[in-house]
Amino acid sequence: MASADATAAEPVVEEVAHVPGEADMWFFVVFETLVFASYFCVYLYFRTQDERAFLAAQSALDLPLGVVDTIVLLSSSWTIARCVQLVRAGRYDGARQLALVTAGLGAVFMVLKVTEWVRLVHEGHTFTSSDFMQHFFFLTAMHAIHVVIGFVALGIVVHRLMNPQRREHETIETCATYWHTVDLFWVLIFAVLYIVR
Amino acid sequence: METSAKTRLFVAWLVLVAITVMYLWLDRSADDSDVVVANTAVTVTAIFLALVKFRIIVREFMGVRHAPVLLRRLTDGLVVVIAAALLGTYLVGRAVA
Repeated sequence: MASADATAAEPVVEEVAHVPGEADMWFFVVFETLVFASYFCVYLYFRTQDERAFLAAQSALDLPLGVVDTIVLLSSSWTIARCVQLVRAGRYDGARQLALVTAGLGAVFMVLKVTEWVRLVHEGHTFTSSDFMQHFFFLTAMHAIHVVIGFVALGIVVHRLMNPQRREHETIETCATYWHTVDLFWVLIFAVLYIVR
Repeated sequence: METSAKTRLFVAWLVLVAITVMYLWLDRSADDSDVVVANTAVTVTAIFLALVKFRIIVREFMGVRHAPVLLRRLTDGLVVVIAAALLGTYLVGRAVA
């Protein structure tokens, strides 16, 4: 079975209109996005009230590292999207490998993030050192918690793909949707924390 | 069909990476010297580009492009709401500062 689906040509899969994953996950996506957006509004408002102090603290961030973080997470979103495509095509071995690659990219993101936190703390930038750093550590930590939960979702994907009796496409799509949401939040966090002036 | 879907995903990823790298140029274009200054054009562009990326991820990676019209409208509406909230807050904040 395993070798058969690994070598088979990708069958034609008709794209029909359907909600990817469970509808409940989409309520979560919308709700969480609005929660994060609300926090960004608070951050942006306070930033405009003391731009000089925020800019000074922001200059401690490593923008090229932030760009690498973002590309790593975008790549993980790409690989889990390909994983879903392969699941729909019945190529479960390839899909499982891509889910593992996604988890690996997520781990690289976390290592880079922790490295940045450690560097900042060593340079004296902590949660209480400035208003900007308070927002920075809070937002990036909240995001990191979502990434950790994402590892659980990816674990469910791998587990489901390992067992032919558990390969429900809807569950796999739901977990993939969660992982993409982690990417969505980071795209916004990166812009407001690293780029906004 | 599968091949074209695969190619489409790759192109989406490529566009997302290109926009991300553009941020480096955007950041450097704002300063004439090493002094970092507040810049409304950079802020508005950064938020706009982030929302472009947001929509690409939702439509291409999350598969909303093939979703029922309700979900497509809902996610597009979400982008508009976020854009209005973020840009509105920033511009009002600057006006009252």
